[in-house]
Amino acid sequence: MDDSGTLLSRIAQLLHYKSIFPQLQSPNYIRAICPELPFREVTILATITLDNLSMQYGNNGSRYTALSNVNLTISEGNFISLIGPSGCGKSTIIDIVSGLKTPTTGSVLIDKEPVSGPGTDRGTVFQDYSLFPWMTAFENICFAIEHTGGSHTKTEIEKQAEEYLNLVGLKKFRNAYPNTLSGGMRQRVSIARMFSMNPKVFLMDEPFGALDSLNRIYMQDLLLNLWTEGERHKTVLFVTHDVDEALLLSDKIAVMTPSPGKIKEVIDVPFSRPRCRKSLGATAEYLTLKSHLLSVLYCEMLGEIEQQAQNFRGLA
Amino acid sequence: MTEKIPRAAIAVYLLLALALAVQVLVPDAQRQAAADAGAFLGVLVLLAILFTAGLVFQKKDARAVTDIVTVIAVILVLWEILLGKLSLLDPLLFPGPAQVFQVFVSDWQLMLYGAVGSLGIMATGYILALALAIPLGLYIGWRRRLYDVAYPIAKAVSPIPPTVYLPYAIVLLPTFAASSVFLIFIGAFWPILVGTIYGVFAVDHRIINSARTLGLSDHQMVRRILLPGAMPSIFSGAMISLIMAFISITVAEMIAATSGLGWYIEYNHQFANYDKVIAGMILIALVVIGVMFIFDRIQRHCLRWQQAE
Ligand SMILES: Nc1ncnc2c1ncn2[C@@H]1O[C@H](COP(=O)(O)OP(=O)(O)O)[C@@H](O)[C@H]1O
Ligand SMILES: [Mg+2]
Repeated sequence: MDDSGTLLSRIAQLLHYKSIFPQLQSPNYIRAICPELPFREVTILATITLDNLSMQYGNNGSRYTALSNVNLTISEGNFISLIGPSGCGKSTIIDIVSGLKTPTTGSVLIDKEPVSGPGTDRGTVFQDYSLFPWMTAFENICFAIEHTGGSHTKTEIEKQAEEYLNLVGLKKFRNAYPNTLSGGMRQRVSIARMFSMNPKVFLMDEPFGALDSLNRIYMQDLLLNLWTEGERHKTVLFVTHDVDEALLLSDKIAVMTPSPGKIKEVIDVPFSRPRCRKSLGATAEYLTLKSHLLSVLYCEMLGEIEQQAQNFRGLA
Repeated sequence: MTEKIPRAAIAVYLLLALALAVQVLVPDAQRQAAADAGAFLGVLVLLAILFTAGLVFQKKDARAVTDIVTVIAVILVLWEILLGKLSLLDPLLFPGPAQVFQVFVSDWQLMLYGAVGSLGIMATGYILALALAIPLGLYIGWRRRLYDVAYPIAKAVSPIPPTVYLPYAIVLLPTFAASSVFLIFIGAFWPILVGTIYGVFAVDHRIINSARTLGLSDHQMVRRILLPGAMPSIFSGAMISLIMAFISITVAEMIAATSGLGWYIEYNHQFANYDKVIAGMILIALVVIGVMFIFDRIQRHCLRWQQAE
């Protein structure tokens, strides 16, 4: 079995990545960096319900069904990952929940309110291109806070932006433009921006998909720490195609299969929090879950390859 | 001052010294009109001073500065020797540098008024075009239906040389200034409009989606996202417009004005004062270089986010 995940964690152990990223050593990471960070007066949480979503692309001539009858409930404070091969409709779900796309049928409810368009009650991080290239890291965060609707004064906004930049370790890059930052740094700014907006729910579409493996490990731990240490956890819908990433971060994993995109199985991830990558990867339970997930994912893919091979034979 | 002065820089100083020595020591050709060489000598000294300043203050670009000044110095030396001293070509049509640079001393008032007048008209028309074309372009780019109508029209009309409107502009508008402002405006308007519309379309849809998730109002979307996103393309349009504006104003002045840079050249041409014609040409070149330099600085400032370091 191709086990890139364990390989990665072994590399990380070899390199003692905790000494490369020293701030992650602290058990109480946020308090250690920002002792008086006001973790927002009120943390509002919400339940997301995907109610019988279907999505078809294209006009009447050539319709493509990207999603069919997707049902999923993400309860308050839960971290749920969508995992599946590319093209199975993960991004489509994120776009529908964030209000960028309207489903063909069905609806998304956030606390029983149907979603009718984009709004700052949902914070979104995409794989890249979340930030505006003409604003500095700091300006990007300020701009987002300005639009969250609360009545903030300019100094409040700037103070908050500064604190969140600090939180992701980018104090020094305050005035850097996104083009001059590395991919990992850009994603850190995007995450800082999402946290600073204090939305009801977090939506993340393969946020670490474009990063190299060490950076990805760092970002996963950062996200895990930031999320775990909030006074109350936010509700998160997280898209990935990395099994280890999903297992490390989520409470539940929804496995999707393509054409048409649908949810095949929802798996509980029972590990207690706070989680630690090192001890988690070593348990038998982890390995069992992982091989189960992989077999569900690959079973589908194998079927597809088989199908293609048969078609090919039919042609020849 | 332990740094070695590069050999190329020494060559420039030698070239300039050569020009100076030749001017002082060798008499002008018999066929050249008598001229006071003071202005030309002044230019040579000024060039040496500017060159030194460039080397000292623009250390990063020292190479480029050296290359440019080398070219200028070579042209001046050749001009001086071949035309000024040897008079290899008709001296009436091709006067030497001493005679040409003298014009800047004798006619400086006329030239200064001309330059200020031309630039004033240009700036008015150009700024009007910017103020109208950019908002209109942003709006058209944002509204798909308008775009389908407007973009083909704008694209078809924009390459028409603005000077074709000149006869009507002169007849219909009361003063020369008004008609040339109109001409500059119409010439500058289309490239900026096309550049803006194209720029809005070139903004990555993923960035627009990211902006939409922040729930921006239409106004915010246009001002904070589309405008900066379209800025690189707006600047390419504005650059074409600027070149158009220079051509339009010069042509208009040559045809219909009683002052200005184009007029100065045309007027002296009628009296066969080719030293003044050449001086006028040099002045226009200097003005264009100056304006382009300012344009470039503004562009670099506005697009500073594009430069990855
Ligand atoms: N705007 C669109 N128009 C047509 N087809 C699309 C569009 N967006 C996505 N699709 C198709 O829908 C399917 C699901 O896409 P997507 O949600 O991006 O998948 P994932 O994020 O899981 O890779 C893919 O087959 C893709 O080609
Ligand atoms: Mg995707």
